[in-house]
Amino acid sequence: MCLSVVLLLSCHKEKNVTYELNDVNIEKDAANKDHLKSTLEFISIAYSDIFGTVIPTGSLLNLTETYKSFGDKILIEEMIIKNFLNEPVNLIPEIDKTSSLTIDIFVTDTYKKLFNRNPDEYELWFIADMIQRDSTVTAELIYFSLMTSNEYRYY
Amino acid sequence: MKRRKFLKGAGLAAAATIGVPYLLPTGRLFALTGSRKANHVVFCLFAGGVRNLESIHKQDGNLMPYTLKGSESISSDIIGGIDALPVNTGLTLQEQGTLYKEVRMKYGPTGHYGSHATAMTGVYTGQNLDINTNPQYPTIFELYRKHNSPSMSAKNTWWISNSLGPYAHLNFSSAPGYGPQYGANFIQPSSFVSEGGYDSLGNSRLYSSEEEEKIKAIRGFCDAHFASQNIGIANSIANTEEEKKEIESFINQCFLDSGQFADPWSLGGLYNNDMRTVQFAERVIQEFNPELLVVNMSGVDIAHNNFTQYVNNLHKADYALAHLWNTIQNTPGMANDTILIAMPEHGRNLEPNGIHDEYGREALDHTNDDMSREIFALILGPNGVVVQDQVFSEEKGESIDIVPTIANVLGFNNDIPGGLLSGNVLTDSFY
Repeated sequence: MCLSVVLLLSCHKEKNVTYELNDVNIEKDAANKDHLKSTLEFISIAYSDIFGTVIPTGSLLNLTETYKSFGDKILIEEMIIKNFLNEPVNLIPEIDKTSSLTIDIFVTDTYKKLFNRNPDEYELWFIADMIQRDSTVTAELIYFSLMTSNEYRYY
Repeated sequence: MKRRKFLKGAGLAAAATIGVPYLLPTGRLFALTGSRKANHVVFCLFAGGVRNLESIHKQDGNLMPYTLKGSESISSDIIGGIDALPVNTGLTLQEQGTLYKEVRMKYGPTGHYGSHATAMTGVYTGQNLDINTNPQYPTIFELYRKHNSPSMSAKNTWWISNSLGPYAHLNFSSAPGYGPQYGANFIQPSSFVSEGGYDSLGNSRLYSSEEEEKIKAIRGFCDAHFASQNIGIANSIANTEEEKKEIESFINQCFLDSGQFADPWSLGGLYNNDMRTVQFAERVIQEFNPELLVVNMSGVDIAHNNFTQYVNNLHKADYALAHLWNTIQNTPGMANDTILIAMPEHGRNLEPNGIHDEYGREALDHTNDDMSREIFALILGPNGVVVQDQVFSEEKGESIDIVPTIANVLGFNNDIPGGLLSGNVLTDSFY
């Protein structure tokens, strides 16, 4: 009797378990950007980010010479971006403020476009919260702020 | 009290008096030994390669009637190539200061960039000069911003160049302990305040102060996230936020006034790039009253292939220099409180290069011969500070003397670490 009980408890069929991994996007985060954009790269990328097209050669030459002819590079970059943003036609999307989800989508898309990465949770909350709390915070203000930040100068 | 003890006590008291810094009502702190001769210096590199034969020695007549005394006629064979500028009816510049006729650039290649670097760092360059990088020794801007007390912001220092290329590197050096944090604002007006510049920057989005506050908050948040390893642009000077606004506003105003840049001196077609550069320097002087501004000209470098145009541009540079001095004297805050120093960066060869112009004159290069090392220097300033109408005809002074002289005028030459500079203060210029 005892022997029968022991045999019943000890004999199990072994399960065939397969372990899988979820797909993970490998992206550069802010801490890993250590290459300063060259003048040409900065101007070309900024133009593409705002207008969604390649900068015409003549404009690139003009901007490059203007960039080189001024010593305070941070100031000249801000001025270049301000001029881009003042063009009547650009591809900066409006912020859809109908829900927190649509705002989150705008913030995420903007980080992906300008910083080439997803925002972390804190970044997402901070920018989205600012948009929600202040109706005068526009997409253009967000774009200008991010494009004149230190991270935008690096890749 | 014994005489010896009295003398010792008096000596200690005197030493203490000299050594203790003074706090002036303006808040400026400095020791007596660091007193200033003037509160502003403008250094005009009368550059491009000017031979003493055509300038100071007037071999083809007085081509510089605004600078030099004398009514020697311009040589008849080239007079047709010299543009008629307004006649000088006032004092010459040499009468308003001290003229050194025989200054030398003793060492280093007589190339434009290296000689500019020598004049602006006070150190002779070697053969291994890399024109693609900043100079290896501290520029006068960095010496001023690091050693002047109190330390001054970049808005007080300007390097205004009439061409790009390597000259854009001269607003700060790669010297350890110096660099962009002590550099000057640099601008090359002919590229910047131009049609191309206007196309690039003339349509700026203007933000309200409320919008700027929001931008500051968002950008500050982003920068805080990124501050762990990188802080902005490497190799760039940086103005403070407040001063950036002032400079941006000034530039936008320049674009609005861009019509004035076409011919602001009413000279018709005679207005050239040297004049345009000097005129922009005048705008900066009027707007910011900088304590230290360096501006250069280089139109005379056409001498490589056209002698007559070389002397014609020398003639125009003379006019531009006098215009600059006149503007300084009519600018509140700068008038009677500014020392203007003018000096070519190097000379030109004795022997011509065989290229003839339409007047039959041969062109001139600059390839390190003795004559290409011969230059002049002119120091102008208020009567009572700078010795007026004084001329040194014998050899005196070197191109490396300008930096220590500027430092002396602004009162910080004794604060520069020993061994950095080997030039001397041109003390004979001052009372």
